[in-house]
Amino acid sequence: MRIVTALVALGLALVPPTARAQHLLVPMDDEQTNHLKAYGLTYNALHDGARGEWLLNYRGGSFLLPDTPELRRRAALDGITTQPIDDATLADIRNQMSQANMESVPLEKAPRIAVYTAPYSPPWDDAVILALRYAGIPYTPIWDDEIEHGDLAKYDWVHLFHEDFTGQLGKFYIAYSGASWFVDMQRTNMAMAKKLGFPNIPALKKDIAMKIREYVNNGGFLFAMCGATETLDLALAAHGVDIASVFADGTPMDPNADAKMDWNASFAFRDAQLEMSPYVNSMSDIDGHQANVPGRRQPLGTFTLFAFSAKFDPVPSMLVQDHRTVIPDFYGVTTSFMKNRLKPGVTVLADEAGAPWVKYIHGDYGKGSWTFLGGHDPEDPQHAIGNPPTDLSLHPNSPGYRLILNNVLFPAAKKKPLKT
Amino acid sequence: MRINRKAVALVVVAALGMGAPVASAQSGDTVSAAYLRGQDLETRDQYDSAAAAYRQALAQTPTSLTAMLGLERVYAQLGRSDSLLPLLDSAIARQPRLTALRAAQMRTLRSLGDRAGMQRAYERWRHDVPHDSAPYQEYARMLIEDGYTAQADTVLQEGESDAGGGRGFAYEVAQLDAAMGKWEPSARAWRQAVADNSYLADAAVFALFPTPMATRDAVRRALAAPPVSTPPLKVLGALELAWGAPREGWTALHVLRPDSATLVAWVDFARRAEQANAWLVARDALVAADQADPTPGYLVRAANDALAGGDAAGAASLAARAETDLDSAAAATTALPVHLRALSTLGRPADGAKLLAAYAGVLSSDEQAQYARLLAWGWVRVGDLDHARQALAASGGGDDAASGWIALYQGDLAGARSQLHAQGDPAGDVLAVIALLDRTRATKSAPLGNAYLTLARGDTAAAAADFAAAAPALSDAGSLLIATSARLYTAHGDAPQAIAAWKTIVDSLPQSPEAPEADLEWARILRRTKQTPEAIARLEHLIITYPESALVPQARRELELARQTVPSTS
Repeated sequence: MRIVTALVALGLALVPPTARAQHLLVPMDDEQTNHLKAYGLTYNALHDGARGEWLLNYRGGSFLLPDTPELRRRAALDGITTQPIDDATLADIRNQMSQANMESVPLEKAPRIAVYTAPYSPPWDDAVILALRYAGIPYTPIWDDEIEHGDLAKYDWVHLFHEDFTGQLGKFYIAYSGASWFVDMQRTNMAMAKKLGFPNIPALKKDIAMKIREYVNNGGFLFAMCGATETLDLALAAHGVDIASVFADGTPMDPNADAKMDWNASFAFRDAQLEMSPYVNSMSDIDGHQANVPGRRQPLGTFTLFAFSAKFDPVPSMLVQDHRTVIPDFYGVTTSFMKNRLKPGVTVLADEAGAPWVKYIHGDYGKGSWTFLGGHDPEDPQHAIGNPPTDLSLHPNSPGYRLILNNVLFPAAKKKPLKT
Repeated sequence: MRINRKAVALVVVAALGMGAPVASAQSGDTVSAAYLRGQDLETRDQYDSAAAAYRQALAQTPTSLTAMLGLERVYAQLGRSDSLLPLLDSAIARQPRLTALRAAQMRTLRSLGDRAGMQRAYERWRHDVPHDSAPYQEYARMLIEDGYTAQADTVLQEGESDAGGGRGFAYEVAQLDAAMGKWEPSARAWRQAVADNSYLADAAVFALFPTPMATRDAVRRALAAPPVSTPPLKVLGALELAWGAPREGWTALHVLRPDSATLVAWVDFARRAEQANAWLVARDALVAADQADPTPGYLVRAANDALAGGDAAGAASLAARAETDLDSAAAATTALPVHLRALSTLGRPADGAKLLAAYAGVLSSDEQAQYARLLAWGWVRVGDLDHARQALAASGGGDDAASGWIALYQGDLAGARSQLHAQGDPAGDVLAVIALLDRTRATKSAPLGNAYLTLARGDTAAAAADFAAAAPALSDAGSLLIATSARLYTAHGDAPQAIAAWKTIVDSLPQSPEAPEADLEWARILRRTKQTPEAIARLEHLIITYPESALVPQARRELELARQTVPSTS
């Protein structure tokens, strides 16, 4: 016995402290010191040709990567918690997962990412760009001319932020018509519309919306936040109707616009009532919170992520991987989506208990899929124009930002045939 | 909670008491026994009984404003504000022009969340008192506070149309524009509001402070536009201070024609600048104030500010000017101390000694000893340790710190260690010296003493070289001496020499406690000189090589900024 102990001790002493195991587990529960950077570590591992696994529901949705000196180095630099594990430990983990609502999803290829953003937009005003930059995930900014020239096909995943696809520039003219930034925005958009052969901004944005829908139909992954969610669907449904106020296109809205909307053309919503007044900063009754309409503004609560079967519903499961299930809500131009405006078949990923609205939705369209998340910035709940940008190094464990990064990574997952 | 509520009630009661003559004049109010009983019960948190007493007071005098306001307070505590409304309705019917009653009605409806009721009350009010600005102002302020900016805008437009002219609404318009992020129009409205009511200056600064960087120039132009006047420039001066640009604040203010209002603005600006540690700007404002209204007190303050801001020569000159305007006894206690400190800092202890001798007749022995110690430091600064010792002796000795420093300058490390340790609560530079002395077991080192003496004389570059030269002979503190050398080179703006010193530590002394700091400071210099990839390499080296170092979080922060993965303005 004494000899065995001595041999074990000797054996341990001979193993160098930095000896490599076979695998690197990136836990995503409360032991993780930097959840957001962990997504970047995984993305870049795939980008460099490595394979990985997403261990759905295992310790907050952990990642499994090969144990290489380079990945260890990157993790150390970014303060990401990793745990080297050997085959035996991994076998134990797999056994544990097989007996619970957990599943391993292979991650094969880093998706090519584009972010639809206007050239005048500062990078720090977009939660997705903030997340991508902080996590170290590369992306390509695109705007109307790239889309009109067919560039969407070059990307696996496209993000839309608070663009107003109704072409009314967020109705900001109500409060900011004299502000220099608004004048610049209007001038730049009008110039782009003319350059691309459209008579006005609403006409251009409608066409962009249709090209985005075509992209999803052909197999693209779309992720939209804030006002882009609502206005994209409004623009799609309004393909034959004037829903832009007079200040945007020189003609008033069609007074019968509500009745003429074609909801077969939209992704997520149906039967919405448009806001007819050009002086009310709201597009429709899709948004439950109406943050910019004083008399209608609803207070913020919390939203709860739904639990899905990791084995049978891996896609929604991936989208809700988080170390928290209840998350503080945050305002945006569009903060939430009224339940009575959702199309049948839309998957609700998160809602607010007792409220008539939901926060986070997903659906398939053609060969692709779309995901909408309401709100502007998960770590700046009251976000107002002129607020300082969010510094994610102060929020490395943000559960709200994890939802964004789940969306970035989920196109990397190898599609497996569903078990049902 | 109980104490706070009572305190608030007392303050309110006190405020009402102070305002009672006005209320009485307006309402014909008389203070009844029932009202006084209600007041007493309210301060004892007996709100039910207080409400009964106030109601009784109102029954006796239905127009009693003080009783009505008392009832408003206690009903709010009891959650029965709705019970006040019928009483207010009948009181308003009797006295439709009494603003305080109307305002109480609006407040009560607001506390009940009855926005439609507020709108109706506002409409009735404007109907009952045409051409009076009060209903518009009161309602607009509430709407702004509650975030109903568009509605507030409508109300103010109605006010400007019905009550005539926009000037009366400048304050509300300014608040509204600020709430809507219309910074330039808000600044223009504030300009008008503070011109009419200078007490609004602080409110203007508070409202305009959040102006985004890109819009600040427009705000500056609005406040400084001709014709220049004191109130808006006073706001601009305070804003610049709040925005971290004190010099610009003084640049804006100094153009004012000196008069009594300007003088108050300049002295107030100096006070704010002192609070913001903008010493030299405060100095300039006080010198200008003295020119407008010669006052030795301004000059003494200006001298102290000059010295705090590193302008010892200016401090000496200002103190000397103050001395000429003061009698000897007053000068000895106000201008003389700062004058002596300035001369000591300038390395002119001989001049200081002459000055001190001139005041000998009006100084007590304790004051003379205290000032002699000041001069001892001046002698040290010029490297005349003999005179320093003499000055210390003249001060009666007993200054362990000064004796310790002198021992250090002479290379007597053991003596310095013992005397500096004897200080009860060492701070700042003393602490840094003790840390170094405790790193080595050497008892003597002339090169180290010389390095500190050179530093005391203010020759930073030579001191940096001396510290590096002292390192080889004191190997147990070698890395700390090189690090000190590097810090001094950095302070002197000599980036190449600083990098060379940090590099020595990184390459040759990687196990030393200063090694992580060397990486970090090296990286910071590289970032400042736009050598970003090299800076990133250094920061990565620190994080990977010294993962347990307390500097790793700072290094990660610097790394984020260098990689531009987080906004640099945060």
